[in-house]
Amino acid sequence: MRKVLRIAKREYLATVRTKGFILGLVLAPVLFAGSALAMLLFRNQVDTRDKVIAVIDRSGLVAEAVIAAAESRNSAVVYDTLTGEKIRAPYVIELVPPEDVDPDRQRLELSNRVRRGELHAFVEIGAGALHPREEEAAARIGYYSKSSAVDDLRSWIERPINGQLRRLRLAEAGVDPAAAEDMFDWVGAAPMGLVSVDPETGAIVEAKRSTELEAILAPLVMPMLMFLMIMLGAVPLLNAVMEEKSQRIAEVVLGSVKPFEFMSGKVLGGVGVSLTAATVYVVGGVFAVRHMGWADYIPYQVLPWFFAYTLLAIIMLGATYAAFGSVCNDPSEAQSLMLPGMLPVMIPMFVLVPVLREPTSAFATGLSFVPFFTPMLMLIRQTVQDSIPVWQPWLGIAGMILFAAFCVWGGGRVFRVAILTQGTPPKFGNIVRWALRG
Amino acid sequence: MSLAMNAVEIRNVTKTFGKVTAVDGLSLDVPQGSVYGFIGPNGSGKTTTLRMMMNIYYPDSGSIQVFGEQLHGACTDRIGYMPEERGLYKRMKVRDVLRFYGELKNGKDVRKEVDRWLERLDLTDWASRKVETLSKGMAQKVQFIATVVARPELVILDEPFTGLDPVNTDALREAVLDLQAAGATVIFSTHDMNVAEKMCDFIFMIFKGGKVLDGTLAAIQDQYGSDTIRIRAEDGSAALQGLAGVEKISDFGQVQELRVAPDRDPQEILSAIMARTRVRSFELAKPSLHDIFVRIAGPEAREVNDA
Repeated sequence: MRKVLRIAKREYLATVRTKGFILGLVLAPVLFAGSALAMLLFRNQVDTRDKVIAVIDRSGLVAEAVIAAAESRNSAVVYDTLTGEKIRAPYVIELVPPEDVDPDRQRLELSNRVRRGELHAFVEIGAGALHPREEEAAARIGYYSKSSAVDDLRSWIERPINGQLRRLRLAEAGVDPAAAEDMFDWVGAAPMGLVSVDPETGAIVEAKRSTELEAILAPLVMPMLMFLMIMLGAVPLLNAVMEEKSQRIAEVVLGSVKPFEFMSGKVLGGVGVSLTAATVYVVGGVFAVRHMGWADYIPYQVLPWFFAYTLLAIIMLGATYAAFGSVCNDPSEAQSLMLPGMLPVMIPMFVLVPVLREPTSAFATGLSFVPFFTPMLMLIRQTVQDSIPVWQPWLGIAGMILFAAFCVWGGGRVFRVAILTQGTPPKFGNIVRWALRG
Repeated sequence: MSLAMNAVEIRNVTKTFGKVTAVDGLSLDVPQGSVYGFIGPNGSGKTTTLRMMMNIYYPDSGSIQVFGEQLHGACTDRIGYMPEERGLYKRMKVRDVLRFYGELKNGKDVRKEVDRWLERLDLTDWASRKVETLSKGMAQKVQFIATVVARPELVILDEPFTGLDPVNTDALREAVLDLQAAGATVIFSTHDMNVAEKMCDFIFMIFKGGKVLDGTLAAIQDQYGSDTIRIRAEDGSAALQGLAGVEKISDFGQVQELRVAPDRDPQEILSAIMARTRVRSFELAKPSLHDIFVRIAGPEAREVNDA
């Protein structure tokens, strides 16, 4: 064990003393905070020039209402009420008489005006828009712009058009629109957490209002942090071992220690590096988030799990990468093994969003029990409050412990054979054979 | 531990890599306190044998005992090993890398020993520099210190003198002999036959995985008898061609060596030469280690190359 610790100490110091590690430790949160700051700064950096929208109202029923809605909006939100500064673009509605003989020609001309920048968009309201159930094609409302699918204005203009159509339908039904204003009121469902009992007082604690920050940010930050830890602690072992092999350092070290001790020391060094970085980030992050007044969003109950998962993930992946490194003879071979080596880390990233949205689905539950994916996916599922049964993380941990033991055992066998085998290109067949047969 | 004890006992060891047999049924005893030289052509199995002594490779069959113990890894702490190709962490400082290797061996504080060796091999000024700034010769000396800094009882050096200038060769040679004087057993492989002749108590030659020579230099030479004429002739090797009773002429420029055929009288050959040219010096000698090496490995090695 003394030798394992001595190798781990060298590995640890060789990494944490480098400028790259220290810079990375500082730069990662700076970049993260910087991008968040940039988003905040640029949120108000909008184009405040007039947005001219041409409206072809074939129904002849809604154009006036759209103009009125635009004027109403412009007077309410275009200028900052305190500073008088122009903060949003005014919407200017240009009514265009419908061309019945050659409507396609009219659409082309308006499209060209959009292309030339004279118009932001044009809207064509079908003649039968008032009663879409009677003739769907005639009721169509088309919104034409350069990026119509993601254009905020498209969703804005739907409201005055449909509001006016509803009012007209009510009038047709004999209801006085003035007396029926609240018919259009919409009451949303507030996203609330679950009601719980205060363990100290026994009183029922009112549910907290759930926010997007809590629902999305915290569950995303934790796996991102886990990803960073794996990149810092486990992935570099592949190249480190390859270098030790190609520079014949391994042969000298193996004059003093057994291959398994050598590999274990390196993995332990990687664990140390990751836990150091994780501690810095978690302590720093908790401090920063509390300082910003968002202490309620810190998922304290998940933090011990985070460290346990990090520890096991680095052992599991570190042993795998060390074994991969031992079969490589030069950087190009290491590069070619990096892609399959990164898959266990990348796959959880690909399925992050579906797991976040449906943390209790069979898909999310099943994947989170795959030992390579457990650290990130189980962590997401746990961070989404009160969503998964208590036994599942424990089972995940148990699976990881078993698989980590297998990785260390198999990795050690590959390492022992491969570390002094020069000139044999890395093949998966060899890796599997060495792992199983030694 | 008795003085007669062997530091290393190899019994009928075989090691194969795929279809290639690197070491074939090898047996060898290395007496404690001796300097043992391993010679042999490239790829003959020297390094594989040394690595098996270090427990880096495991023999397919046979046994290796070091200091009377079957190798199971732990006793490698009593052995210092310097591989053929230098293995030092390039980005570590010289003193740090030496401490690392020393502490890895026995866990003791080796700082004083590191400083002593750095001073002895004239490297004190480089102690705080990174390994990557060292010249090849310096790195080789640092690697040597890494091998001996933990005071091993058995020192295994794989081609320690290759690439060193004469001054550094002498410094390393003296260091090796001092280790022996202090009681250590030293095994080293070399391609330099002069070094092997001058330094080694015993010489072992391996060829195609098998032992072909083993013993003191005198004993090895005795096997071949005094069949070599070392001569300085005025007209050089040109005057020696076609002599009856000469099996081979080795021309070293100023000196020529003639291998006398069995049952031929060297005096007759001398007379024949004197009839052709003036002879400045003439010596009847045992074959040099170089000559013995070439006799064993030369023609066959050529055949292998030609095949």
